[in-house]
Amino acid sequence: MTDVQIVRGELQPWTDTNPTGGATLLALLGDLLPLRSQRTLVAGPHSVEVIELAAARSESVSVLVRSVTDAQELHAAVKDNVTVITGALDGLALSEPEPFDVIIAADGLDRVLGADSPALNWPQRAAELWKLAGPETLAVVGVENEFALTGLYDRRPLDERHGDDEWRPLHDDPDRPTSPAQVMAALGAERLYATFDHTLLDTEAAATTRPGRPGARLAIGGLTAAGAHQPLLAPLGDGADAAARAGLLAAVAPGWLAIRGTGGGATHTAYAPAGSGVLIADLDGDEWTVSADGGGKRLPDTESVETLLFRLAAAEDVPAFRAFAARLGAWANDEGVILLDDLFPDGETDGFVRGFTTVKSTAGTSELLAAAYQRLRDRLLTGHRRHPWPPWTTESDDLVTTWLSMSGVQATPELLKRGREIADQVAEPGTSEPDLRTILADAEEAKVRAVELAGKVFGLERTLRFRDQSLRTREKQIRTVRDDLRGLRRSPVIRLHELTSKMAKIRNPRKFAGALKRRIRKS
Amino acid sequence: MHHHNWYYGQQHILARYCGLPDDFPPRIPGYLQHGWNVGCGWNPVHEFFDGAWRFVWSDAPRRRGHSLGRRAYAVTGAPMLYLMDLEPDLGRVPEPERKGTLWFLFHGWDAPGIGAKIHGDHQRLIDEIKETETEPVTISLYYTEFDRPEVRKVYEDAGFEVICFGKRGWNYEGTDRKFLYKQLKAFRQFKRVASNRLATAIFYGVAAGCVPAVYGDAMELEGDNPLFGGQTRIARLWPDMLGKDIDLATARAITDDELGKQFVMPPAEMRMLFDWNQRD
Repeated sequence: MTDVQIVRGELQPWTDTNPTGGATLLALLGDLLPLRSQRTLVAGPHSVEVIELAAARSESVSVLVRSVTDAQELHAAVKDNVTVITGALDGLALSEPEPFDVIIAADGLDRVLGADSPALNWPQRAAELWKLAGPETLAVVGVENEFALTGLYDRRPLDERHGDDEWRPLHDDPDRPTSPAQVMAALGAERLYATFDHTLLDTEAAATTRPGRPGARLAIGGLTAAGAHQPLLAPLGDGADAAARAGLLAAVAPGWLAIRGTGGGATHTAYAPAGSGVLIADLDGDEWTVSADGGGKRLPDTESVETLLFRLAAAEDVPAFRAFAARLGAWANDEGVILLDDLFPDGETDGFVRGFTTVKSTAGTSELLAAAYQRLRDRLLTGHRRHPWPPWTTESDDLVTTWLSMSGVQATPELLKRGREIADQVAEPGTSEPDLRTILADAEEAKVRAVELAGKVFGLERTLRFRDQSLRTREKQIRTVRDDLRGLRRSPVIRLHELTSKMAKIRNPRKFAGALKRRIRKS
Repeated sequence: MHHHNWYYGQQHILARYCGLPDDFPPRIPGYLQHGWNVGCGWNPVHEFFDGAWRFVWSDAPRRRGHSLGRRAYAVTGAPMLYLMDLEPDLGRVPEPERKGTLWFLFHGWDAPGIGAKIHGDHQRLIDEIKETETEPVTISLYYTEFDRPEVRKVYEDAGFEVICFGKRGWNYEGTDRKFLYKQLKAFRQFKRVASNRLATAIFYGVAAGCVPAVYGDAMELEGDNPLFGGQTRIARLWPDMLGKDIDLATARAITDDELGKQFVMPPAEMRMLFDWNQRD
């Protein structure tokens, strides 16, 4: 076991939290790193797994971390062919080691200097890194994006966004690359991935995807995860959709991962977390090939069912919504939970193809469809999306019931309850606190609701007034009829009629005698 | 929620369609459009209260209302379409036996104290009808004209049969709940439907299988509010629906749009939309 080496610029006491790693990065590196190289440098804080992978593919590995504590912990955890160095990047460059064949700086160049290091801006730090590389070096370099949606939508003011590592305003750097093109140029990269938390998406695929398409779904899923613990101004998904529409999704990613050098293995279009594994996807024209657990499947690069339904709802086109729901009902099956945001129309048939996420379920088709619509309703309302249905339908199960009937399913309380349960199981984890726009929108909605309810009371009272008028009219009519009747009774014609009736009785002696007898008995 | 919803027995028809009693239909939580309209579904100065939904026949009034800053619209399709569904055989005769023209005179309107009369050259209109129609003509007058002898007599004296389908009512009183039933029954027996203005009856007639015609003096309505553009706007938007010989296929397509045929919904969906499901 080697000892920890020290170069200029180490930090003590210090630790860099959340070292870069994760299953998706490991999968990418697994594809990219040559099976055998001579010298590998891992610069910056990376997980033990990343270092172990590098060690498995290289004769020797040097790991540079600025924290002495981190270095000591790594030293205890890694294999013999790994040399742990503590200090700053410029310190290592100053020691003029032999060029490395492979450089892994996936954590980026923001955690490679110490408090005693010179004030190197981003290009200067990159230049220090290249001092350690040869002309054929394969390098993987992470870059944090200052133009990321997570930054643009950050609710905190600038002076509250960064912590103890900002002993110099590291992010106030006009020379830092802040677009995919700038990163490619600054690093001379061959391939660039946009990083959305742990999701890696090739920037070319990110540029061509559009809202609701599989690529955008992968990116937004990662983006939402990245912003889950951050106070936000607005939902990230809305901005991401707008960016995707403009072909700028890669430009607003939280960061990038650049690959420089051609000596690596082939990599895939996308890597994304999938439970405990990794989902790997390749885009080929208008179709994706997806594999999560060894099996591959084809996925059309079309807009998701949810996107299409939301669009119809926003256009208030209920007939088209109804027709689409009928088509969905005809297709629905019990092969797993139906996630409408991860379900895509099959261009070749009238059916649909399940997307990246597979959630097995023992539920029946109707229950799965009920769950799909419960989830659709949740996302429609929480997203404050436009739709044509009155509040009394959305506040109850009426809307889901109606959607189910559009799909040919008769809803029952049990079915709706089961659908609710399944939908809750697959619901995205909530954010630590709602974003500001949602808070304001909820407050405004409550205000409008109060005004509308007051209006409803007004309307009901006025209806009562109409009804009162109606009752008065009828009462008047009844009085008039009664007066007419009274007048009629006093008229000579009626008197004559009454007299005639009496005489008619006397004219029939038998009836008259009977009536007389009854009268006597009663008295 | 509003007594206009009872006009022509429309609310009663929808209640019946939903399987509910139609003698006293349940309340609609808003306003139901009661006639074809070139605006937002109601007259230009109609008042609405907050929180009331606007239930219109087709998507165009919804869009126009939206442009006026109004929200909370739902498109239902015209109640007459639901009646046609409920009464598939009412008045129906074999197609070759349909004959004559049911001619609707543009009518004034009734509201106690604030109604409005029409003014125009009835004789000139009669002459034009006689010139145009080749089969017997029945003139339909709304009661506002039917009850004006000086108007009714002109048409009777011209040799036309003159009929009236009843009153739409006011404040829940006087509504002829069979108004649309009677109209539907009549439409299904006539070959043509005509009027001096493009109006609801023309669309109903086309929906019931009549060949339409719109011609003659459009007449003036007292206090007519031209905010929505009046007759000239109608001529710009629906030129295919004006004239003595209108292409039937085109008229049917336009009628389907204006009556919101594609928006007709199943009873269960309508019960939800009107909040007519029992909740307790």
